[in-house]
Amino acid sequence: MQSRRKFLKLGAGAAIGGLAVASLPKTAAAHPSDETAWDETVDVIVIGSGFAGLSAALNAKRKKLGSILVLEKMQVIGGNSAINGGWFAVPKNPIQLSQGILDDSPEELVNDQMIAGRGMANKEILTKVANRALDAYQMCIDAGVEFRKDFNIQVGGHNKARAIRTKHGTGGDITTKLYEAGRREGVEYRLQHYIEDFVRVGDKIEGVVVRRGYRFPDQGTGELVRIKANKAVICASGGFARDMKLRAVVDPSLDPTLDCTNHLGATGEVMLSAAANGALPIHLNMIQTGHWGSPDEGGFGWSNALLSIGWHEGISVSVLSGKRYMDERTDRLTASTAIMNNRYSDGSPAYPLVFFNYNDHPDDDRVVRALRDEMAWKVDSLEQLASKFNVPLDALKKTVKEYNEHVAQGTDPDFGRKMDTAKVLKAPFVVSRIWPKVHYCMGGLKTDADGRVLDARTMSPIKNFYAAGEVTGGVHGQTRLSSCSCLETLTMGFIISEAIKANA
Amino acid sequence: MKKLIMSLALALAMVVTAQAGDLVTIKGNTEGRSYHKSLYEEGCNYCHPGSPKKQVTDAACVDCHGQINDIEITKHLKMPEANPHKSVHYNQGASCLACHAEHTRKAPVCSECHRTWFDKM
Repeated sequence: MQSRRKFLKLGAGAAIGGLAVASLPKTAAAHPSDETAWDETVDVIVIGSGFAGLSAALNAKRKKLGSILVLEKMQVIGGNSAINGGWFAVPKNPIQLSQGILDDSPEELVNDQMIAGRGMANKEILTKVANRALDAYQMCIDAGVEFRKDFNIQVGGHNKARAIRTKHGTGGDITTKLYEAGRREGVEYRLQHYIEDFVRVGDKIEGVVVRRGYRFPDQGTGELVRIKANKAVICASGGFARDMKLRAVVDPSLDPTLDCTNHLGATGEVMLSAAANGALPIHLNMIQTGHWGSPDEGGFGWSNALLSIGWHEGISVSVLSGKRYMDERTDRLTASTAIMNNRYSDGSPAYPLVFFNYNDHPDDDRVVRALRDEMAWKVDSLEQLASKFNVPLDALKKTVKEYNEHVAQGTDPDFGRKMDTAKVLKAPFVVSRIWPKVHYCMGGLKTDADGRVLDARTMSPIKNFYAAGEVTGGVHGQTRLSSCSCLETLTMGFIISEAIKANA
Repeated sequence: MKKLIMSLALALAMVVTAQAGDLVTIKGNTEGRSYHKSLYEEGCNYCHPGSPKKQVTDAACVDCHGQINDIEITKHLKMPEANPHKSVHYNQGASCLACHAEHTRKAPVCSECHRTWFDKM
């Protein structure tokens, strides 16, 4: 109860802050409920153009809800979905069935998600989402999305192989096709439209105040216009992992030195504006971090793939001591903590190194791409490694010598690592630097199972107001499983458009 | 006049393969692209209809250069997949302004992640 009050206060503060910095034109500021003040009216406004926004817009159009307008603040369509890994969990997908996996079901998926959610996930929503997985898959296929042939695997936390992946290994394969399908079917998309505020009258969201012609991240750009939505405003604005201030407020344990896998526009202002208008934010402190990041590339990058070799076959050493400092195969949280203990005396990160034998993987895609893009390097000797990354050479040599003995014995007396995949280290090496990155916000706006946003004071839906995707909270609980965001966002487009149809 | 400019620009485009050119001083403190010099003779109106303060839209670029997927890239690409005009992330869904600027050099949106693939343009 106390945290709820805190959030309401935070919301109100954000609203006042927003008004103070914005120079609202007279029509927008003076008569917030004056219908004549609208610059434009449409039937449905969708905020954001990632998986959730694109699917909601396309499904709303197909449900004949009228004119559909997608507002995207960036200069590209697709949000974080356009750059994600393109993993998509679909129980009973055709590839899974062709692999002879016949005992999977939506219930099986939900069970896995409930375990990962550690009691904080929402079974009703997860079930509704899982039951529509094949619809979302079919929408992609119909739009021309290509998935990897015969590729369906079991990813972390799932008990069945049910994750398919797009052809190029990025969600862009899906966002581009859904965008193009929407354009063909009459959805209107506008770039550089920043949501300044919602217009709430009584218990209803009537429309939005938008900064048109906005140039990210410059708040002074663009002009304010007011757009009314006859039937719905759908908030699909994504997560806030790039909002350093909000991140620090909701989870002070998140180190400010942590970079982020998300696109630069993943900031939380739309969610905060919604909260300022009464929406209930929950679980905001639940933020997922990956311990596999590289400081030498932007976004998610290749590091995760490279370390799938490095953690197993190589070692991680501190540049400060030349020594190993953790079990390279430990869990995410333990690894993140150990990695972040590596600091110079001024507190700045002393990025630890991970290295493994080059000659074991010269043609491996993961190595070729990493070297090409200069987020990893080939070194010919420990001497070269030590001088390039300023590691104490003698200590480094001792570390490798001792480790190689441990590999031969098959045990790790220092950290208790499982050594079945470890290899004797022998130059040349592939070496990269590591530091964790913030990845996904489980928390956000509380909705009911139809995607209707709940009012914090009444716990009932705010009329005409819906939300889908990473901007929502309480769906996944403590941690979201890989490949389940794509599923949730695409299916919520079906669920929300049906709810609007029923309410309209 | 607009037609003439367009056909001039198109002719130019065919010769020089649609590069907007280097940044040069146009007038006073204003810099612009060398191949756009003739457009500036009309003032700012061609790109900023109504007022120089008006936000430019892609229409100003597309009029002469065509749609994103149709514009061939003649610059050396790091690899064939690094073609931002046929990007697996954005394809048609990218504004020209995501990567290009007229009055200043700009880092393309792709370089947020792919740091070694693209230069400032």
